[in-house]
Amino acid sequence: MKNKIKNFFTPAKILAIISILCAALIAVSYFSDRLVTPIREAVSFIVVPLQRGVNGIGIGVVKGEEKKKTIEELQSYSSELEEKVASLEAQNEQLKTNGKELEDLKKLYDMDQSLGDYPKTGATIIGISSQNWNESFIIDKGAMHGMETDMNVISSDGLVGIITEVHANYSKVMTVISDNSYVTAMDEGTKDQCTVKGDISLMDSGIIRVERIKVNAEVKDGDRIVTSGISSKYLPGIFIGYAKDIKEDETGMTRSGYLVPAVDFDHLQNVLVITQKKQNTNE
Amino acid sequence: MKRKLCELGLIIFFYLMQVSLCRVIAIGGIAPNLMIILPILFGYFNGPKEGMYVGFCSGILYDLFFTDLLGFTALMFTLIGYFCGLLCNRYEEGNFIIPIFLTAGAVLFYEFFVFIGNFLLQNRLILGYFMTRVILPEMVYTVIVMLILYKPLQLLNKLYDSRKRKVKDIDETIL
Repeated sequence: MKNKIKNFFTPAKILAIISILCAALIAVSYFSDRLVTPIREAVSFIVVPLQRGVNGIGIGVVKGEEKKKTIEELQSYSSELEEKVASLEAQNEQLKTNGKELEDLKKLYDMDQSLGDYPKTGATIIGISSQNWNESFIIDKGAMHGMETDMNVISSDGLVGIITEVHANYSKVMTVISDNSYVTAMDEGTKDQCTVKGDISLMDSGIIRVERIKVNAEVKDGDRIVTSGISSKYLPGIFIGYAKDIKEDETGMTRSGYLVPAVDFDHLQNVLVITQKKQNTNE
Repeated sequence: MKRKLCELGLIIFFYLMQVSLCRVIAIGGIAPNLMIILPILFGYFNGPKEGMYVGFCSGILYDLFFTDLLGFTALMFTLIGYFCGLLCNRYEEGNFIIPIFLTAGAVLFYEFFVFIGNFLLQNRLILGYFMTRVILPEMVYTVIVMLILYKPLQLLNKLYDSRKRKVKDIDETIL
């Protein structure tokens, strides 16, 4: 009997069965998440803690190496620095007089930081999508910690992305540099609207695209681009990056160019999730 | 059974390495595809059945966390495991040529379908760019990593491969 079953399940037949199963899974998950969610939850309870652990070790190793490097560098530079101390001391005196001015500017800057009003919570990145063109990652907080989809994710430098999926103990974040990301944004100074769009073909240069700027808009290179108030998902006033090479399009109707993101996506470790959602703010 | 469980552990270990370590060792933003190595080598070592089992498990694990369509990677990896398994009877311990070609072919096959799903269906025909900037570097990098992992995985494979099975298989082929 056992042999009969064994003979029936030839590799080709198993392949056919698994293929049909996978096709069914693809079809089901395309239309609804209901079947997939319980499996995902169950597996995530085993894998996510492991992932957190491995990531902890990884961070430790990287930090240790960096420390070692820093010590070596410091030793080689220390003599050089000593020479500089003398000249710096002189400069320091001068800077002290400028200190007052700096303080005033700092106050202005703090006032400008409207982001401080949003409630935020920290999260750690515990996994990066291995698909080389799909810039998404998972963070160690999920529905249990109050995460919801469409929450904005930022770092200390600026906008990182948006939560696209939430599970019990982890969530998936799509970054603004990912190829299918669109953010409605504006020039911070002139308030001209534009669209910030991720583009895979610009991956090497570390920049993304800015599109649909009105032809008469006064967006200049180096302008600060922030999220716009008319975006349906992103909270207004979050810094994205600086405009670059803004040129008129061939059609003559719009202008477009590039944007240098403020966030260093290669070395991102900790992010902040804004727990207030755009949809709720409007209500 | 014990063997299957060990393989499952290995898959989870590779997954963890894939999502954490690969970022550290990425060159120019290109990380090697560690997960794909498992179905290729296990298929090649032990035949289509095992290749399919490993491929399906590792694919589904990856899908659960990173793919929107559950089952897509699982299907790709199962197919890869099956076809690499068909070359199982050509398996020789010191032969690196076949696994190199299998890995290169498998990465090409997998990434090409990912490309179709992600870009071609969205009417973005930038295949030339992808070939040179993403797929080919990833292919080369994955082959190199596979060569590094080949011996350790071979040893692990032997550890749980009971002698009897090998002998029985040989008997069957002779008969």
